Amino acid sequence: MLKAKVILVALGAALAVPAAMAGSTPEEDRKEAVEYFKQMFPDVPYEEYVNGQYALDEDRRSQWESLQDFPPYEFAVAEGKEMFETPFANGKTYASCFENDGIGVRQNYPYFDEKNNEVITLELAINRCREANGEQPLKYKKGNIASISAYMASTSQGKKFNIKVQDSAEAQAAYQAGKEFYYSRRGQLNFSCASCHVQNPGNWIRADLLSPALGQPSNFPVHRSKWGELGTLHRRFAGCNRNVRAEPLPAQSTEYRNLEFFLTYMSNGLPVVGPSTRP
Amino acid sequence: MSRSTVTFGMVIALSIPLFAQAGPKDDFEKAYSQAERTHQEAGTFQWTTTSDRLKAAQEAAGAGDYDAAARLARDALELAQQSVAQQQDQKEAWRITAIGD
Ligand code: HEC
Repeated sequence: MLKAKVILVALGAALAVPAAMAGSTPEEDRKEAVEYFKQMFPDVPYEEYVNGQYALDEDRRSQWESLQDFPPYEFAVAEGKEMFETPFANGKTYASCFENDGIGVRQNYPYFDEKNNEVITLELAINRCREANGEQPLKYKKGNIASISAYMASTSQGKKFNIKVQDSAEAQAAYQAGKEFYYSRRGQLNFSCASCHVQNPGNWIRADLLSPALGQPSNFPVHRSKWGELGTLHRRFAGCNRNVRAEPLPAQSTEYRNLEFFLTYMSNGLPVVGPSTRP
Repeated sequence: MSRSTVTFGMVIALSIPLFAQAGPKDDFEKAYSQAERTHQEAGTFQWTTTSDRLKAAQEAAGAGDYDAAARLARDALELAQQSVAQQQDQKEAWRITAIGD
């Protein structure tokens, strides 16, 4: 515990402040972020960012690749497919709630719903679909929802994220709120998401190699060896909050949905590769 | 001895232990409610360390150890105040490291 703090404080002291070039639209932010990481990692091809920490370390990368023949999430994806295709009590299926019957649509999530002025993530859409069809909602961090989400992601493999932030004040505000969340220092250790994933990717925190912000949502849901199972993006958000001694927010809270909106927008143009594995 | 003197004496006798306990228990309750209120004020900037102290304070109070409970509640208050200061500070300071305006 104390050791972690010392390492974090040392990291904090070594922060390089990114060049705050003028940018205000989400697209300008995204382009600046791409440029920023290009300067930080000139040898990393853009498409590689979907591999998180493995884009930054060849040894880890080849070790990881050698383990991909029997991915530990395979069974969960098969279960997810079965659940996805099994009719609800009313005879309808998940397909009835989604564009293109829910196949190959993961790259369009999260999106901003202009009717209700809120960010809709894939997991939220899955649960709303259940409720609309008289079923109980699933728990958000792991289990069945992660399996269904993983199956849906698997049908989108290689499709590029295409998140839109509409011109409406509400959509812009949701994006801005997510951005503010990402850059705000939180917790007793006084770190923002950016302290680790913008200013220190490629550096180590104990046994962990920090991944860059770009491409972070691409591989979700993810099977972590630490979890021994699949987990959703919001489960990871909560863990990262907790690591700096900040009280995590509920999965699918407005704050986390806005955060996902911002973070996924930053990954526009990068492909969906989920589900994947991480330590 | 008159009846009222006896009653008076009993009240005094009964009150002594009550008075003796009123200090730390009051301290605890005051500090705890202030800490809890401040913790809520921190909104999405709450610290887990504050929550931990609040919980530990409740547990100590539950076990009747109001000295420890009051101390933990005061710790919690201090942490909660720091989290509120962080929240206030970050309203503008987050921009310093943000990519894009
Ligand atoms: C103290 C440093 C630290 C902070 C602050 C932090 N994280 Fe992390 N995060 C990590 C570490 C360590 C990992 C695991 C290694 C990696 O993949 O980066 C990780 C992993 C992740 C991943 C998974 C990446 C992948 O490839 O699967 C996401 C997404 C993520 N963090 C998002 C966030 C968000 C959002 C915040 C702010 C709420 C945040 N992190 C704050 C340290 C941090």
